[in-house]
Amino acid sequence: MNYFPDEVIEHIFDFISSHKDRNSISLVSKSWHKIERCSRKRVFIGNCYAINPERLIQRFPSLRSLTLKGKPHFADFNLVPHEWGGFVHPWIVALAKARVELEELRLKRMVVSDESLELLSRSFASFKSLVLVSCEGFTTDGLASVATNCRHLRELDLQENEIDDHRGQWLNCFPQSSTALTSLNFSCLKGETNLAALERLVARSPNLESLKVNRAVPLDALTRLMSCAPQLVDLGVGSYENEPDQESFMKLMAAIKKCTSLRSLSGFSEVTPLCLTAFYPICQNLTSLNLSYAAEIQGNHLIRFIQFCKRLQRLWILDSIGDKGLEVVASTCKELQELRVFPSDLHDEEDNDTAVTEIGLVAISAGCPKLHSLLYFCKQMTNAALITVAKNCPNFIRFRLCILEPNKPDHTTSQSLDEGFGAIVQACKGLRRLSLSGLLTDKVFLYIGMYAEQLEMLSIAFAGDTDKGMLYVLNGCKKMRKLEIRDSPFGNTALLADVDKYRTMRSLWMSSCEVTLGGCKRLARNAPWLNVEIINENENNDLMMERNEEDEREKVDRLYLYRTVVGARKDAPPCVTIL
Amino acid sequence: MENSNSYSPYSSSSVDSTKPLPSESSVNLSLSLTFPSTSSQRETSQDWPPIKPRLRDTLKSLRLRQRGYNTALFVKVYMEGVPIGRKLDLSTFSGYESLLENLSGMFDTSVICGTRDSKHHVLTYQDKDGDWMMVGDIPWDMFLETVRRLKITRPERC
Repeated sequence: MNYFPDEVIEHIFDFISSHKDRNSISLVSKSWHKIERCSRKRVFIGNCYAINPERLIQRFPSLRSLTLKGKPHFADFNLVPHEWGGFVHPWIVALAKARVELEELRLKRMVVSDESLELLSRSFASFKSLVLVSCEGFTTDGLASVATNCRHLRELDLQENEIDDHRGQWLNCFPQSSTALTSLNFSCLKGETNLAALERLVARSPNLESLKVNRAVPLDALTRLMSCAPQLVDLGVGSYENEPDQESFMKLMAAIKKCTSLRSLSGFSEVTPLCLTAFYPICQNLTSLNLSYAAEIQGNHLIRFIQFCKRLQRLWILDSIGDKGLEVVASTCKELQELRVFPSDLHDEEDNDTAVTEIGLVAISAGCPKLHSLLYFCKQMTNAALITVAKNCPNFIRFRLCILEPNKPDHTTSQSLDEGFGAIVQACKGLRRLSLSGLLTDKVFLYIGMYAEQLEMLSIAFAGDTDKGMLYVLNGCKKMRKLEIRDSPFGNTALLADVDKYRTMRSLWMSSCEVTLGGCKRLARNAPWLNVEIINENENNDLMMERNEEDEREKVDRLYLYRTVVGARKDAPPCVTIL
Repeated sequence: MENSNSYSPYSSSSVDSTKPLPSESSVNLSLSLTFPSTSSQRETSQDWPPIKPRLRDTLKSLRLRQRGYNTALFVKVYMEGVPIGRKLDLSTFSGYESLLENLSGMFDTSVICGTRDSKHHVLTYQDKDGDWMMVGDIPWDMFLETVRRLKITRPERC
């Protein structure tokens, strides 16, 4: 290959899009490294503090699309203070200064300000796509800047963000000339929407394929929207408290019938079951259905709808569907690849017969041969069920089981669930992501270390007995990238056993474990290429650094460590100490 | 490193009530029972089970409603001359200012309360006695307790 001119090699590289592959290519030789980096258009940065924007731009001058992730995963569950960090602003400033021709920005768990959005909208003339997932810190004013200034905007996708909603006027800011929209998702906005502006926008966007509206879009408006966008592929419905009258309902159904390309449906917060039935005409076309916010729709209505969805590949649903409902899914949805069952009752007060158990899971595993991704919240589980699931579905890539009560054993044998999870990791040779729950001893980690060769992400809560558990995982799982542990008895021995292991991982999170300040300090000393962060909201952290030997034995509330090439970050808030 | 827009669900900006409501001013959106509150306190109930904030709040609201607590306050809103009305959740507003802002946006016109004006639409409400009254005379909290429906009247009528 070295005898080919650079342009030929570059052309060949154009066919290689996966980040992993491109990273591998860049390691082959100096000349390949150079060709690769100069031609690279898309970069993924899993931890925004592992590198800085200046070095990114230096290495990849042709950058067009950037993905950045900020806070650690457990931030989704209120375990990370809001002010922890993950600010996108310095990235946008640097990219603007270097005149990078940015077209696409995808952010997850980052802090975004209106100022950042304004700067973004003014700095990149070809900007096309903004995807914000679980971000916070901005308002609809920021959205207004994006709408106003990004003349070539095709995609504005806001998923699960905390946005201060000032009013619905930002929709008015899309210029009349803007007709390029393909995707618009503002389902997480809480306030009223300017419906007239939305209808005008949708009417002049013939390429709009994905539209997800927020709660405030009522039924008659939805009907009008769908009538001017029958080409929709992906629809997120808002909410409507009132029962629609016969005429409005028929109009809605007529509009829906025309949407023959519709494949994905979501939303439905606070709706009456009748509204779901309006979608019967197209339900056999659906490949993706997200009813995880449809808390008002009872199980029997869900079941009646799903029994016609024969082509479903992805289903997100609440556990109110029950084991009976999952049995219907198992017999209907033979193409199912991804299933998520969320809890609908957080406090376990009612003796809820309709929640899901191991029975539903086994039924799904038996009926859906293509299932490879699972997130399952349930009240109880057994080893026998897990062993059966493992036998039925050896193709799991993601297996996340959450038994709502911590430390709950197998409810038929009162034993731990080590054997059940052991069966899963042994059978599923391609398993990349695993979340554990229930009563678990060190043994389950022995199994994981032994069998989970492809495991990249592991989430542990209320599990294990001794440091041996964590050591089995660190020593055994060669491909581990993200390890997050909470409320488990792992301490300094496990933390410090193999410091170099953390070179191969993106990050480690440990909260309410047994690691001490002394252990963390020692780690930080031995691994200067790690940022070892201690998060403690109740402490003045200057005091922490001056502590004497006694206090070194004090347990650390939350530890987050990650490899980095740019040293300690300068933007940490008072509650975070970087050792 | 600056965090130029420090996030808080309680962030407020001042609104000058003597000027006519400008279209791009910020309004204080109060915390309502139907919307999530971002708490920085680590209570065990807030971090287990591991579900995202939006789902957590949806389920909380559902439970409150099931137990009979009225978390939302939906009233019908009509614009005079328009047969089809809208429904609005009054519990999401902090006061008259934010209500008017929203209505102005919703109906794509300028809605005010109190003063009679030949240019603006005036907001009226029907109270629990069935009488039609001008919006804005009584304190907001009292208004929430007595309002049954809203009507945006044509300017000349009042």
